[in-house]
Amino acid sequence: MSDESALLREPWSNFGRQREAGKFGIWVFLASETLFFGALMLTYTVCRVEHPEAFAVAGRETNIWYGTINTAVLLTSSLTMAIAAQAAEESAPLRRLVLACLMLTAMLGLAFIVIKGFEYKEDIDKQLVPGAGFALSQPGAQLFYGFYWLVTGVHAIHLSIGIALVSRLFWVLLRRQLPAKDNPEIEVTALYWHLVDIVWIFLYPLIYLPGRAS
Amino acid sequence: MTDALLAGELPLPPRPDYLRHGSTISSWLATTDHKRIAILYAITITFFFFLGGAAITAVRLELFQPNGWLLTSDTYNKLFSFHGIIMVWFFLVPSIPNTFGNFLLPLMIGAPDVAFPRLNLFSWYLTVAAGAFTVYALVAGGVDTGWTFYTPYSSMFSNTHVFAAAAGVFVVGFASIATGVNFIATTHMLRAPGMTWFRLPLFVWAIYATSLIMVLATPVLAISLLLVIAERVLGLPIFDPARGGDPILFQHLFWFYSHPAVYIMVLPAMGVVSEIIPCFARRRIFGYDFMVYAMLAIAGVGFFVWGHHMFVSGQSALASLVFSFLSFIIAVPSAIKVFNWTASLYRGQISFESPMLYALGFVGLFTTGGLSGLFLASIPVDIHVTDTYFVVAHFHYIMVGGSVSAFFAGLHFWWPKVTGKLYPESWAKFAAILMYAGFNMTFLPQFFAGYLGMPRRYHTYPAEFQIYNVMSSAGAAVLAIAYLLPLGYLTWSLFYGGNAAKNPWGATGLEWTTGSPPPPKNFDRQPRVDRGPYDYHAEGMSAGTDPPEMQNARETR
Amino acid sequence: MSRPGESGGIVRRLWARNLLIWAALLALLVLSLLAAYVPMGRMTTASGIIIAGVKSTLVVLLFMELASAKPLIRIAAISGLVFVIAMFALTFADVLARI
Repeated sequence: MSDESALLREPWSNFGRQREAGKFGIWVFLASETLFFGALMLTYTVCRVEHPEAFAVAGRETNIWYGTINTAVLLTSSLTMAIAAQAAEESAPLRRLVLACLMLTAMLGLAFIVIKGFEYKEDIDKQLVPGAGFALSQPGAQLFYGFYWLVTGVHAIHLSIGIALVSRLFWVLLRRQLPAKDNPEIEVTALYWHLVDIVWIFLYPLIYLPGRAS
Repeated sequence: MTDALLAGELPLPPRPDYLRHGSTISSWLATTDHKRIAILYAITITFFFFLGGAAITAVRLELFQPNGWLLTSDTYNKLFSFHGIIMVWFFLVPSIPNTFGNFLLPLMIGAPDVAFPRLNLFSWYLTVAAGAFTVYALVAGGVDTGWTFYTPYSSMFSNTHVFAAAAGVFVVGFASIATGVNFIATTHMLRAPGMTWFRLPLFVWAIYATSLIMVLATPVLAISLLLVIAERVLGLPIFDPARGGDPILFQHLFWFYSHPAVYIMVLPAMGVVSEIIPCFARRRIFGYDFMVYAMLAIAGVGFFVWGHHMFVSGQSALASLVFSFLSFIIAVPSAIKVFNWTASLYRGQISFESPMLYALGFVGLFTTGGLSGLFLASIPVDIHVTDTYFVVAHFHYIMVGGSVSAFFAGLHFWWPKVTGKLYPESWAKFAAILMYAGFNMTFLPQFFAGYLGMPRRYHTYPAEFQIYNVMSSAGAAVLAIAYLLPLGYLTWSLFYGGNAAKNPWGATGLEWTTGSPPPPKNFDRQPRVDRGPYDYHAEGMSAGTDPPEMQNARETR
Repeated sequence: MSRPGESGGIVRRLWARNLLIWAALLALLVLSLLAAYVPMGRMTTASGIIIAGVKSTLVVLLFMELASAKPLIRIAAISGLVFVIAMFALTFADVLARI
């Protein structure tokens, strides 16, 4: 049994319907996010088609270890987030599991940010910031890194929002201000989190894998 | 008659309507009532309408003479840019969806509110914050890139406040997306029992189709502006040709949104007109199903035609051909709608109240604008008239002659419902006719000037074009008066107008079954729908003078 | 009300299912990493993107539970993708066909 009355809100008279609407609403929002990041991917693809060699040279300069480890970190955070969301929907009360997995998710997200921070520092030291002192000479290479800084920055902002949402959820559930069971906010947060993961799944081959085979 | 009255009991004291239910500032600024949020939006867009109008007043004054007598080139560039940015994103895009859509969508489907009321309020705050950015851009000195922000000028060379303006548009885009999500979820999840999809009023379908476009197109605008900001503020190369960038890429991203945006601006207007024409012709709408399919087709195909803004940009001939072909195709659903509105008048009992005057004006002006669009879809003609006043006239016929007329149509039609007051009808008729005359006098000469070669965005021009510019500017003065009149008499009606009954127009639709103004939770009892919309007469008959059948099964007369 | 032993079984089941998916995702990650070093011309680039597509599909269908979701949810999910594809297709009708 779930504490539906605590979770029911206006204008809904039926909790099941409210849940459905929340789930549908977040998927519609994710469709808009697909176009948001899709437009960024289009930018990358057009530039790469117009400058294939420069992108290969530039891609080689990225740190594949940081990139691969970070991808693994985010994939793991999706694991913990999925378990938290599924546990909240189970008939048995699994509050401690939900809380533990939410905390792990947030910590893995933070780990990503920290690793990214180290990577950014290395990129700056290697003069991979577009501008006067840029390390590579091909014009398209600056485009690659223009895209790199922008898209990883936008992704990091999305990830930070996700970490904030997950942390807030963890805190609210820990203090028992809301029940964990069947809480629609957990499902909505989980779907957002997985989107942020999927964006990175696509960014990985675009940023870290070009130019490795030559 | 309430059941209590029928049972012989004393009537209950009247409940406060949504306007009188709480009168503190915080009951307005922290409201989650969709009707109050609609009012907040209405005040906001009215402010922006007159701000954008002030900018273009200066422009039209300048264009009285061919030699730049009033303004410098830089100031002129800033004025038309500001006019475009404000009118598109802070007036037209939010106008009908966020005022009438917010107010009427839950009422028309029989719901107590939208699906996510707090998100609704957040959308309004985002709009206000975005407006603050844009007003800052104006006050700080303006932006001169045109509303289209083309690169590399906007991202590398302009010395004006591109960042503030682009940031304002970026933020209001997210308000748009949030509204779209809200309305889509509301339409799917909160329809009253019996309100099936094909019993929905066409206005609901219009808002739904508009919301689909808002959700899917606006993110790409956000990215296009983000890229401009990144290049300009962070120095990251994206569109800089010297560093390998492709300026045409910006145009693809920008127009991928901005073409569907014009459908965001016109579909709600079509929805309004579809509500008004049946009411004042006392006829069912002709071809309801095709009206629905046409709106969905416009929304869908509208995503595939953006390149017709780029025929002279350096785009490939192949792409231009594809976009031109699809641009001709998209005229078809619009034409179907115009035909159906016209056919709805046949065998009707037509009366010419002001909402109907505006609605009929919409049909004519939208048709004219749409036909001129066909000329622009043809690549050879477009190459001749692109960036001339022909294009300016085309889109103003649709957006001003079309959408703004429909906005005023809806304003008058639903004014009694929203405010509970009746406006003076003679003033309203006069304003409607004056607006139609002023509009045509402003924009018809622009078709000629453009075809004969006068470029847009220039404040000096050869003397041979002066006659058209003088006519246009004179017409604009008439139009300005016609826009100010409703501001006057509608405000007057708030204080001195008569009280409106539940259904002063005798219209169908669930919003007319509840009080004028409605109670805070919209309905005393959940409506139960047992028939389709526009049931103004029995099927197969002409219009009569009998009252229509309401959609609510419980409604008694 | 469920008994304590039942929770243990449910927890085990949750971890088993999701760890399996996670293992597949990591394996695909390693595969894309290795494939990037194999010179196959255009296929090298394509391999990374295709594998990313497979990983995303697993996340969407299994972690985001789209495989068991109602048709309405699935339409909402796919609509973004449909218009991204259109955006790519028509833009490349320009980019690839310029003389």
